[in-house]
Amino acid sequence: MYQFDWSSIPGALPYLAQGMLLTLQITCTAVAVGVVFGTLIALARLSPNALLSNLAALYVNGFRSVPLVMVLLWFYILVPGLIQALFHHPPLDIRLLSAFIAFSLFEASYYAEIIRAGIQSVSHGQVSAGLALGMSRRETMRLIILPQAFRRMVPLLLTQAIILFQDTSLVYVIGLAEFFGVAYRTGNRDGTLVELLLFAGAVYFVICFTASTIVRQLQKRICV
Amino acid sequence: MISISNVCKWYGDFQVLCECTTKVEKGEVVVVCGPSGSGKSTLIKCVNGLEPFQKGEIQVENVSVGNRRTKLSLLRARVGMVFQHFELFPHLSVIQNLTIAQTRVLKRTGREATDKALKLLEMVGLQDHAQKHPAQLSGGQQQRVAIARALAMDPIAMLFDEPTSALDPEMIKEVLDVMVRLAHEGITMMVVTHEMGFARQVANRVIFMDHGKIVEDRPTIDFFKTPGTERAQQFLSKILAH
Repeated sequence: MYQFDWSSIPGALPYLAQGMLLTLQITCTAVAVGVVFGTLIALARLSPNALLSNLAALYVNGFRSVPLVMVLLWFYILVPGLIQALFHHPPLDIRLLSAFIAFSLFEASYYAEIIRAGIQSVSHGQVSAGLALGMSRRETMRLIILPQAFRRMVPLLLTQAIILFQDTSLVYVIGLAEFFGVAYRTGNRDGTLVELLLFAGAVYFVICFTASTIVRQLQKRICV
Repeated sequence: MISISNVCKWYGDFQVLCECTTKVEKGEVVVVCGPSGSGKSTLIKCVNGLEPFQKGEIQVENVSVGNRRTKLSLLRARVGMVFQHFELFPHLSVIQNLTIAQTRVLKRTGREATDKALKLLEMVGLQDHAQKHPAQLSGGQQQRVAIARALAMDPIAMLFDEPTSALDPEMIKEVLDVMVRLAHEGITMMVVTHEMGFARQVANRVIFMDHGKIVEDRPTIDFFKTPGTERAQQFLSKILAH
C-alpha cells in the first residue's frame, strides 16, 4: 500500500504561491493582448479588403493548426537564436518574454475567431442603422456593433481564459517556474511527486471549477 | 429634392431594379407599394446609399448618391431612415439612442442633443420612457423612438422602409398617427408601405412597383380611382379585399 507523504507541501507553499503568481501573470497578459490583438485580426478578417482578410485567415488558421507547446518551443529556441545571429548579442534568458509572446499570439488566434463570430451575430440591420444616421463604418463598428458583440461574447471569452489558465502549465517545457513547474520540481526533488501533482491538480480544479461556475451564472444573467 | 433616374441594380445575374425613374419634391409624401420582391425596399435604400446600384443616377438636393466622391455619411446624416425592424441600439437607453448620432455626427453638445431628444420623445408621446432600454418597450413604442431618432438629426427628408410591417395590428395605428402628423407638418417623405389607408390620407403620389420596375407613378386620387395597369388593379383588389 502506497503511503502518502504530504510533509513537503507546507514548506513548498511560498514557492507554489510564487508559481501561481507567474501563472496568473501569463494568463492575464495573454487574455489582454489576445483580446485586443484578436479584435484587430477579427476586424481584418471581416474587412472587404481581400489581402487583409486573407492574411488574417492565414494567421488564425496557422496558429490554430499547431500545438501550443510547439509554438512555445519555437519562440524559446528561435527568438534568442535570431537575436544572437542578427546582433551578435550574447545569449539572453528570454524564457519569460517568449512565454508571454507565444501565449499572447496563440490566444489571439482563438480570440479572433470568438470575436469574429460575436461581430457576425449582431444583425446587419444594426450596421445599416448606424450608417443611416451618418456615422462612419468605423464609428458604427466601435459604438454600435462591438459593444453588443462583446456583451454576447463575455461567457465565451472567459471560458477561453479558463482553458488558457490550464494551458499555462505547458511552460514547464521551457523551464519556467510557474505553478505546475514548481509543483513538479518540488515533488521530484523530495520524492513526493504523486502528492505534489495531486495537490496541484486539486488547486487547478478548485480555481477552474469556481471560475466556470461564475461564468455559468453570468451567462444566465446575460441571457435574461 | 430626391430625383431618381434610370436606376438599375443587379444581384449577380438577377435584376432587382430596372430603369427606375421618379422624383420626390420638397414637402411631398410619396408612397411606394407593390408585391413583395418587387424591389421597393431596395429602391428606397438606394436613396441614402445603403444599397449600391450599378446604373443610373440618384440625386438628393443635387448631391449625387452614386458618385464615388460623394461622402455618403454627410448625405445620410441629412436623410432620416426608419427600418422595418426598428433597429434601435439595444445596448443604449432610449435617450442615448436619440443623442448618439447628434453628438458624434453633428457635434452637438450633450445638453443640446438631450434637449432635442426630449422634445422629440414628447412629440411621439414617449417622454416617460427616456431612461428605459429598447427591449423594455413594445414594438409600436420602439418604432416611434426610431422615428424620433431619425428626426433628431433635423433631416431634409425621411425614408420609411415598411415601418409597420413588423408590428402587431393594434400598434400600427400609433406609428401611423405619428407619420400622418409628420406629413401634415410638411416633411418630405418617401414611404414603402402596404398601408393603403395611410396612402389615401396623406400621400401626394403613389408609386407602384412590380418586378423591379416602376409600373405606375400617379397622384394618389387617380391611383386609387382608376389604376392604370392590370397588375396594380390586382394588387389593390387583393390588399383592399378585407
